[in-house]
Amino acid sequence: MNATPLPEDHEALAAEYAIGLLEGAALDHAEHLYRADATFTQRVDAWRARLHPLDMTARETVPDAALWNRIEARLAEPQPVKSRQGQSVPAPHRNVFDRLWSSLGFWRPAGLIAAMASLVLAVGLGLALRETARAPVLVAVLMTDANQPGAIVNVLADGRAELVPLGDIPVPAGRVLQIWTLWDQVRGPVSVGLANAARRLELDIKALPRTVPTQLFEITLEPQGGSPTGRPTGPILMKGNATTAL
Amino acid sequence: MDQKVTMTEDGSDLLARALARCAAGERAALREIYESESARMIGVALRIVRRRELAEEVVQDGFVRIWQSAASYDATRGAPRAWLYTIIRNRALNIIRSEKRTDLVAEFDNEAIVDDAATPDAIVGRMADSEALRHCLEQLPAVRRNLILLAYLKGLSHGEIAGRVQMPLGTVKSWIRRSLLSLRECMA
Repeated sequence: MNATPLPEDHEALAAEYAIGLLEGAALDHAEHLYRADATFTQRVDAWRARLHPLDMTARETVPDAALWNRIEARLAEPQPVKSRQGQSVPAPHRNVFDRLWSSLGFWRPAGLIAAMASLVLAVGLGLALRETARAPVLVAVLMTDANQPGAIVNVLADGRAELVPLGDIPVPAGRVLQIWTLWDQVRGPVSVGLANAARRLELDIKALPRTVPTQLFEITLEPQGGSPTGRPTGPILMKGNATTAL
Repeated sequence: MDQKVTMTEDGSDLLARALARCAAGERAALREIYESESARMIGVALRIVRRRELAEEVVQDGFVRIWQSAASYDATRGAPRAWLYTIIRNRALNIIRSEKRTDLVAEFDNEAIVDDAATPDAIVGRMADSEALRHCLEQLPAVRRNLILLAYLKGLSHGEIAGRVQMPLGTVKSWIRRSLLSLRECMA
């Protein structure tokens, strides 16, 4: 097996993913690429378009008259609460995510590279923004699984914070990006923002204590309206620690 | 743009505008999509989940999702109808990949390739003559064409197809893979 996949391997994988042939590890891999690799996302979308005429060969079957009413009833249900602040949270370290958040081994490999990238970017940003009142005092560079910088969190002198994506982040239909920060192991990750797509976003950190160096930020994929549990439930797209800006 | 309403033959513009209206919170627009697509969506879901009540569950979940994610539909990434049907197919695939699949597998009959008992050739024949996919599927040897149809229409995995057609898994994988690559070349 080659270490680097050939382009036609990714092409075939995109087709298999679009069709629904994959299971297990291959499916996980393709789902990851669909989120993290824009070329792969385009390939999958192209395959969906190519094969879509087959959908139109389905025999039309008129649904039960009550189906629309059931859909409307579902839409009338209250949406999940978007902000988790002030809500009571369960005891710490109960679930896998809590353990992941606090597991050093999980963070260390990305952390080293992220720290170096943070430094480089923090220097660059610090210089570029020094003259402005919006100069960040802390910067977190969020790294993807592939160790690519995916977004920056700037914590500004006035205590506000903003997310700045460095590229497109594919968001599957029905999902949103949810941004989290961990400032207290006991309290666990706290939601600080939701977005339908990669865009510059002010993070909702006013109710939190002042951001400190090494504080973690991460982005996960969650259902529309945000995680229904108030904790990250979806895959982690990128993560990084805050570093003091020079 | 001028004010003239352009409408493509397949109603893509109408669907794209309906999605934009859904994103703006207009429930009537969702109803329009439902009126025009739900019967075919039930058909698509039925080929995969095979049971009427499950197909309706798929379409119900699908419409909730369409409503919630209409704002994320991006016209540069594909036609609106393909986007809508991807939501339906993915929901149906998730259902047969979950616990429920065990009782579904038991119900599989081995004769008909699709639920409405149409032969693969008849399915391909339902596509317009002008459809590149039809032309290119017809270029493939029948056995390979049928593997692709089995996968897409019934939502079977590599392993399930290998079991159904009694072929080694590796052979099924490589045949499908090569067929897909020639399909792409043909449609380029």
